[in-house]
Amino acid sequence: MIERTPVLDFITQTILVLSLVALLMPLWVVFVAASHDYQTVNQVPMPLWPGSHLFENLSAAWAAGNFDRVMLNSVIVAVGVTAGKICIAALSAFSIVYFSYRLRMLLFWLIFITLMLPLEVRIVPTYAVAANALGPFEAILNAIGISIRLPEWNLLNSYSGLILPLVATATGTFLYRQFFMTIPDELAEAAKMDGSGPLRFFFEVLLPLSKTNMAALATIMFVWSWNQYLWPLLIVTDHANYATATMQLQKVVPGPLFGAPPIWNTAMAANLIVLTPPVLVTILLQRWFVRGLISTDK
Amino acid sequence: MKRYSLLAAAASVIVMASGAHAQERTKFEFWYGLTGQLGEVMAKQCQLFNESQDRYEAVCVGQGGYDKAEQNTIAAYRAKQHPTLVQIYDAGTVNFMLSGAIYPANKFAEDYRIDVDWDAYFPGIANYYATSTGEMWSFPHNSSTAVLYWNKDQWAKIGKSEAPKTWAEFAADLKALKEAGVECGFAFDFDTWMNLEQFSAINGLPIATLDNGYGGLGAEVEFHQTAFADHMNNFKDWMDAGYAQIQTSQVGKNLIQSFADGTCASTTSSIANHGVVGSTKAEGMNWDVAMLPVLEEGKRTNSIVGGASLWIMEGKTPEEYEATAAFVKYVTAPDTGEKYIAENTGYIPVTTAGFELLKSEGFYDKEGYAGREIAIESLTASDVTPLSRGIRLGNFTSIRAEVRAELEAAFTGQKDMETALSDAADRSNQILRRYEQTYRGADLP
Amino acid sequence: MEKRVTFSNTWLAAALILPQMLLVFVFFYWPTGEALYWAFTLERPFGGGNEWVGLYNFEGVFGDPKYWSSVRVSMIFAIAATVLSLVIAVLMALFVDRRLPGHQVYKFTFFLPYALAAPAVGLAFRFIFSPDAGFVSAINQFFPGLWNPALDGFDALLLIILAQAWSLVGYNFIFFLAALQSIPRTMSEAGAMDGAGVMRRMWDLQLPLITPTLFFLIVINITDSFVNSFGIVDITTGGGPARATDLMVYKIYTDGFQGKDYSLAAAQSIVLMVLIVALTFIQFRFIERRVHYT
Repeated sequence: MIERTPVLDFITQTILVLSLVALLMPLWVVFVAASHDYQTVNQVPMPLWPGSHLFENLSAAWAAGNFDRVMLNSVIVAVGVTAGKICIAALSAFSIVYFSYRLRMLLFWLIFITLMLPLEVRIVPTYAVAANALGPFEAILNAIGISIRLPEWNLLNSYSGLILPLVATATGTFLYRQFFMTIPDELAEAAKMDGSGPLRFFFEVLLPLSKTNMAALATIMFVWSWNQYLWPLLIVTDHANYATATMQLQKVVPGPLFGAPPIWNTAMAANLIVLTPPVLVTILLQRWFVRGLISTDK
Repeated sequence: MKRYSLLAAAASVIVMASGAHAQERTKFEFWYGLTGQLGEVMAKQCQLFNESQDRYEAVCVGQGGYDKAEQNTIAAYRAKQHPTLVQIYDAGTVNFMLSGAIYPANKFAEDYRIDVDWDAYFPGIANYYATSTGEMWSFPHNSSTAVLYWNKDQWAKIGKSEAPKTWAEFAADLKALKEAGVECGFAFDFDTWMNLEQFSAINGLPIATLDNGYGGLGAEVEFHQTAFADHMNNFKDWMDAGYAQIQTSQVGKNLIQSFADGTCASTTSSIANHGVVGSTKAEGMNWDVAMLPVLEEGKRTNSIVGGASLWIMEGKTPEEYEATAAFVKYVTAPDTGEKYIAENTGYIPVTTAGFELLKSEGFYDKEGYAGREIAIESLTASDVTPLSRGIRLGNFTSIRAEVRAELEAAFTGQKDMETALSDAADRSNQILRRYEQTYRGADLP
Repeated sequence: MEKRVTFSNTWLAAALILPQMLLVFVFFYWPTGEALYWAFTLERPFGGGNEWVGLYNFEGVFGDPKYWSSVRVSMIFAIAATVLSLVIAVLMALFVDRRLPGHQVYKFTFFLPYALAAPAVGLAFRFIFSPDAGFVSAINQFFPGLWNPALDGFDALLLIILAQAWSLVGYNFIFFLAALQSIPRTMSEAGAMDGAGVMRRMWDLQLPLITPTLFFLIVINITDSFVNSFGIVDITTGGGPARATDLMVYKIYTDGFQGKDYSLAAAQSIVLMVLIVALTFIQFRFIERRVHYT
């Protein structure tokens, strides 16, 4: 705290507490629903105070979702996606911001456009690619007259299939680009004067500076990939070995079907279970949110 | 000595076990759309099948919803990675019939020696999934139909102990209920399966030309010219007069919740919800199910089925089909199939054999299950007519959405019912023409 | 916007961007190309026959008045949800950045909404906003009929805007906080020495310095509201009542994913993409000019 501002502090605290309540209300509802028995949770209105069945619901959900087995898969996938995205996005943003070549704006837009069409729309052809990831190359080679049969690379029921397609989006590249743009030109100039090459500049100057942004991106990507369920549901048929935690939610959450009894208490307990690892990761990554050290003004 | 024999016994068990494993089980994949507790019931059935024999192994994969099961099967089929057996909901039937991707059930049963008594299926169910010439291309599976849920305590207030038989009687009851101080006599929503499809089938009204589309892809909808419009206008009048209320999950409770907790004295819903009402109803509430009311007494045709059927996909090996046939036998048998489903869900048996088996075991006398035979009564209320066979329209999910949206427009007062329904019909016909053009040159079987 | 100082090793530049381009090509452009080609044909779900129909599908899309109302609703939704969530998130981030007592708790609780999986969000929102049963039922007791998202299109639209804003707040908060934390403390201290108050420093010093992040979030939020909002619609309003919340992407989802009319969905996807590209282009052209980079 730089100075004392009691009135402003009071207002600030009030706003923070109010936002906290507003933001946490839905979470509270989930928690309360997870702590009641089947009859109570189906009462309208549902009580707003937790009941005494939380632990039995949690253990029922844990067993129904086979969470012993699937948590590890989810961690592998989420860590894979997060790490892959952080690395690949940093490299491509570095290329776009710090090199001058004619295609760079085009490439930036090509990467950027991937944000603009959801998976649901292209799910059928994307599945075909996952079934044979080298297919596109084979088709192109054949089209330009090189008749060749590439080996089939099937990504169904594999970690690569769960990870790679999720790495191929643009958020990270765009974020790094925004951040790199704020880095004073003097730093790059100094690096050039020292005669250190672009890679050294990247590793020794840019990356250390990007720490906080990287932590933010990692948090978001971890949670985002953790919560994916449509893609895993499609390409994983070997549920015993490759199911992810969020996929398991469909086993406990009733869909809009005739006659599906809403067993909301177990469903919400499963949600709490699935929610826990991302929250832990978030808390862990908060440690990286450190005050910047280098002045970026001129 | 003792220890030695124990070891020997253990060793022999291991040898036997590995001997059994040496004969590799033939695996095949089965994809299903049911989720939640119903999905668990499916998974358990697979497990039971796998434990019942040691030659085949069903790998059963829940797809997280009916629409996702259909979508994923299409995606997988196009990449030649599809399952051998798949559970597809009623509205997907026509896509699968026209797909060229399936192994028709009747042919499959013949080729793989499954002894199916096709005539044992209740006609109201069989016809829904059969081709226009009556061939069954899929195996009916989890099935239900619509019934009236009514609160006996509330009806007792107006001195009645029986459910209304006609819609006119129902309207009079609603008025009386209101006068007797019942806040909400009837809960409804804009679901077309209940309000349009079942209503039309039971009262012998057409939904589309060419026998509701069974006669070819050139069919046009005509629901806007039938008594359906008056029926919906009645709903609106009841709502405006305070006899009935719209209950959807957006309002807070769906139909079943608002009936079970006693808010509304009646509703129409699937028989599959029978168990849900039983387990969530307000303490001490007396209730029952009845056949849906009709327009004219004595003129009732059969109601139609809702649910899903099992399709065999083409392009698999004979060994996989062999395994699949064993599974199909298992899940369609009266005891391991129909009885299992009826006991663990609200779905009904699909053949007379299954129904008789359950009856003989006193299933319909047991508390919590009594009353479900009403569904069978409703499905078999008459011989199946061309109008109560089912609906065979292309992209029917979109047509349902159009009707629903226009009904909402009428109920919120944006347009009158006649305009709304004729708009819905226009848009539905555009959907049908697109579908017809997409499948130009293909014949609807 | 370009850097003055750049490197000139084109081969290295190509090598750096290659992994991303490969992934994007295989998992996005190749399949998307096929899906978009269907916009000019009538594609059967299982394949086996697709007739070239030129612009027929687009005529169907543009000739439908319901489609235009869906475009209008989508615009309102995207802008309202973006503004709402950005304003809330930036306020919270600025306050948390002041490190008042309790900021450690706020830091991760504000992020929680983003971590909650979709089915739970749907249940929670239905519960809170249901007129007869939820928290807002109290409002209805004083003003009967004021809130009814099942029958009132405006209420339903408001409901999905609030739900979307709610789910984006956590996302925005994290990035704002990261940006604020990157501002060196020396700068704030220098500001304080000059006699600038807390509010003044926020407005004149911190906000301009986080404009690159703000710009990033505006673009991402608007895009996300257009592209990834069907989940929220699906579990709360289902596009109703009477299409009042029938967003463009929800229509694509229902026509293609549920109705299996891949060609109609593909044509709408192209329209959606062109619209978002145009919007993004406008943002780059006009908003980015005001972004304070270095």
